[in-house]
Amino acid sequence: MKKITVYTTNTCGYCKMVKKWLDSKGVKYNVINLDDHPEKQKEIYEKSGALTVPVTLIEKEDKTEEVVIGFNLSRLASVV
Amino acid sequence: MSNKTVVMYGATWCSYCRALKKKLDSIGISYQYKDVDDPGIRAEMNAKTENNQTIPVLFVGTDYWINPGQEILDAQFSNNYTDEDEQKGEKTLHDVIMIGAGPTSLAAAVYTSREDIETLIFEKGVIGGLAAITDKIDNYPGFEEGIEGLQLAEKLQKQAERFGAKIELGEVQSLKKEGDYINLQTTSGEMTAKSILIGTGSEWKKINIPGEKEFYGRGVHNCATCDGPFYRDKKLVVVGGGNSSAQEALFLTKFAKHIDILIRKDKWRASDVLIREIKDNDKITVHFNTTADEIIGGEVDGMTKVTKVIGTKNDKKIDFITDGIFVFIGLRPVTEYLKGSGVKVDDKGFVITDKKLKTNIEGIFCAGDVRSGATMQIASAVGEGASAALSIREYLGALK
Ligand SMILES: Cc1cc2nc3c(=O)[nH]c(=O)nc-3n(C[C@H](O)[C@H](O)[C@H](O)COP(=O)(O)OP(=O)(O)OC[C@H]3O[C@@H](n4cnc5c(N)ncnc54)[C@H](O)[C@@H]3O)c2cc1C
Repeated sequence: MKKITVYTTNTCGYCKMVKKWLDSKGVKYNVINLDDHPEKQKEIYEKSGALTVPVTLIEKEDKTEEVVIGFNLSRLASVV
Repeated sequence: MSNKTVVMYGATWCSYCRALKKKLDSIGISYQYKDVDDPGIRAEMNAKTENNQTIPVLFVGTDYWINPGQEILDAQFSNNYTDEDEQKGEKTLHDVIMIGAGPTSLAAAVYTSREDIETLIFEKGVIGGLAAITDKIDNYPGFEEGIEGLQLAEKLQKQAERFGAKIELGEVQSLKKEGDYINLQTTSGEMTAKSILIGTGSEWKKINIPGEKEFYGRGVHNCATCDGPFYRDKKLVVVGGGNSSAQEALFLTKFAKHIDILIRKDKWRASDVLIREIKDNDKITVHFNTTADEIIGGEVDGMTKVTKVIGTKNDKKIDFITDGIFVFIGLRPVTEYLKGSGVKVDDKGFVITDKKLKTNIEGIFCAGDVRSGATMQIASAVGEGASAALSIREYLGALK
């Protein structure tokens, strides 16, 4: 099973779209909200090299990771 | 669904009934339609529904729902949906395709779908457009306390969907009128429509200075509601002297400990209310006659980050020590996908229309921020959306 984590903030519209899209595909995921967990900022940076949300982290069965920055439909569709 | 009988009670003058009927037809199940304008039928419905006075009512066996939503239809009839139906759906000719699900198209869709005009909206970003990524909207009539952008977006979406409008998450890449219809290339494949509404709004201009590309998303940003929380107790630079810049800077003070606003001109181009709020906010310093010329960054705590913005103030070089820069120097219309379509735009790239919001190509309409002469407000965007919908109805009526 792939493990999916979405990094978000309370006010971010694109984050909502990523979650909506994952919901529409029936995919389960964890959410890390930076407004509640500011200490996770460093983690986002380490995974994505960026300071922006949404960031979606897909950990595959073979332990490799894919990172999608922003609400990028075609990238999400190809890795989820 | 098992073999329970399906009965719908409705009336011809009731738009919810027409929408429900259309949905049932598209699912392809057999059902009996009963018109409550017949007093006998109305009495029958009242008797079976504990004297309910609202239509439509849908019965599946002995269970019933008043104006059932999509979830109920899905739960009752999902076995009737086949791949073939879905494929057939994709190939059909659409009455109207709206490009961009901002306030313009969502408002237009309320009107078209409520009038039984089959409506498909394409959205490549956030449903609700720029309004959805705005923190708070204070001047949209009907919300006396103001409303969060994301919340307004959700309301607009639900209202459009209630009457049957569909939203497809995808991008329209090009379009061309051929014969009576318009063909579109999209990320969801090729589509054909009888009419089009261009409602693609605008997006932020880039500032085009050294460092912008290199640090984009790691210190250079355009979306305060998305990336603001990364700057808790940090210093920020905001560039731009318009309403949006003022509004976004005020939002960013929720997080940042200090903000320098750089404005190229010698005064604001923002509303007095916002200027006053900025003046009263002791976290903000405004610099007029000031440009941002270069963004500098480097490794800080193991992360590549912005460390300063080099600017020019009153013709003298000046350094702004900062943790990030938000750029709000104006918006440009989104029309790249119209290349090759023949739709006329003005010298700034905004789509030209007549008073009825028709472009130079029959069947292609345009409204909202992307239209030449638009006033760039949500209230006017939804107003134009409604007007465009009425023009579209007129056009489709004549086409039949
Ligand atoms: C920071 C900021 C604050 C604002 N505050 C206010 C305010 O307080 N009050 C107010 O009235 N107005 C405000 N506005 C203005 C308001 O947001 C706009 O006037 C309004 O959103 C315009 O609506 P629209 O539907 O025309 O365009 P948009 O909202 O821009 O929506 C267009 C949509 O089209 C989509 N799109 C573009 N190209 C394609 C394509 N090829 N395929 C599919 N989809 C596409 C985009 O992703 C976008 O979602 C603000 C704007 C900004 C930037």
